[in-house]
Amino acid sequence: MSKFLFVVPPFFGHISPTLSVGASLIERGHEVKWLGIIPLAADHIPPGGEYIFPEQDLAPYGEKLQQLLRRQDDGPNCSAPEIMKIAFEETYVPMARIMMKGLTKAVDTWQPDVIINDCVTFAGALCAHLKGIPCVTTTPVPPDVMGNTAESAPKIFAWHEKLFRGLQEEFGLYSDQLLIHSREMNIVFTSKEFAGVTDHLPHMKFVGPVKGRPNQAAFDWERLEKAVHPVVFVSLGTLLVDIRKDFFGKLIDAFADAPLTIVAATDPAIFESWPDNFIVSSFVPQAALMPKMDAVICHGGFNTVNDTFMNGLPMLIIPITYDHFHTAKLIENAGCGIKIRYKRLRIAEMRKAVFELLENNVYREASVRIRATFIAAGGNDRAVELLEEFSCKPTAVNQN
Amino acid sequence: MDTIVTAVKLNSNEIFNLLKQFITEVIGEEFIEEMDISMESSFNKDLEMDSIEIVAFSEKIKAHFGERINFTGWLSNMDIDQLIELKLGMIVKFIESCQ
Repeated sequence: MSKFLFVVPPFFGHISPTLSVGASLIERGHEVKWLGIIPLAADHIPPGGEYIFPEQDLAPYGEKLQQLLRRQDDGPNCSAPEIMKIAFEETYVPMARIMMKGLTKAVDTWQPDVIINDCVTFAGALCAHLKGIPCVTTTPVPPDVMGNTAESAPKIFAWHEKLFRGLQEEFGLYSDQLLIHSREMNIVFTSKEFAGVTDHLPHMKFVGPVKGRPNQAAFDWERLEKAVHPVVFVSLGTLLVDIRKDFFGKLIDAFADAPLTIVAATDPAIFESWPDNFIVSSFVPQAALMPKMDAVICHGGFNTVNDTFMNGLPMLIIPITYDHFHTAKLIENAGCGIKIRYKRLRIAEMRKAVFELLENNVYREASVRIRATFIAAGGNDRAVELLEEFSCKPTAVNQN
Repeated sequence: MDTIVTAVKLNSNEIFNLLKQFITEVIGEEFIEEMDISMESSFNKDLEMDSIEIVAFSEKIKAHFGERINFTGWLSNMDIDQLIELKLGMIVKFIESCQ
């Protein structure tokens, strides 16, 4: 049996699949812990696992961390190149600095056999390299968001290289190679087919969506039973806060008197009242809800995207910022949804798109085809199999 | 279909109007109304073009001016801060200088 440490960012969308994989590892008898830089409610952690929040070591960074978290909300008002700066310079790189001390201590104390870092949590891979511990990376979003920048935008590529190498060198790692991700195994939670990836390095392992994380959210199932059908699920994920009122206001304008029911995952307190055909709650048992839905509207958060196509549903994707546009393009390519960019959203067009998705079977059929690729990718079983193989094999351990 | 309509040199005002027309075609008239497009408009920030719209805009420039003007090549050589600072007027100047 092995000890696995997941090193996660303060973004629930990235944490979520690691909780599902972790639950499966625990079932197989492994020891699993997570380490992150914000507190996480205990009921999210699979029974038998533990979440390490190194509060003391984070204390000096308190203000910096809050600033970093708040900055994420600026995404919707930023242009694409600004988003790149926010993501890399203002989020991922400082996050690694903030995390390193507490992470190093936890690693020294617990001595994990494998460190699993999320793709934006560089500290995990750097620490693994420093300590000579084998490292796997998890990628919850489709890879290749940036495309081949070495060719298409050489100065952007050079900026990345400089930024990441600078970070490595701060921690005494001098290497020609980038060490912020595992070069031995990178587990990606989508299918090659959906990601549009035809040519990839052998260490990229596409396992499709994973499931099984604890979700204790309550839901008014009785009200859903009695509700007018079809039912459309709407989620903006957990990150974007400032634009919720605007987004859901538009949703109300479009569907308040439409012959369907909206199930929305958002804080109901943003409006004094909601239309009768809206069922709204802050937290929902999304995996249990999804099979009862007829279509989904979302911004392109990857867990909702995975849940949607695992259930063979069509999606209206309304990309807002970050990597949403890339995901929207993949959905259009696969034919399983319609894209309307948030900045170009008209109420009538949104309504038309949703009824098109509900009435025209081609989107559902395309979604079912994507589901087949997801299932074939292997999900939890494949992820566990890969991690077990990895933890057993004698590795050429990285020495600094 | 746009064709190469002119080999005549355009002045900066004519180029600006042409680019404004391309932008309107790409992002739609009703969204343009809320914008005050000028030489000072930030290409990424004010016009809020996403990558698909930028590709469509580039195609229009190519269709109009032909191979003389390598707009995408010019863009792809910029660094991150140049992209953030890119203003419509700079594109006008670039096109003017290539004619």
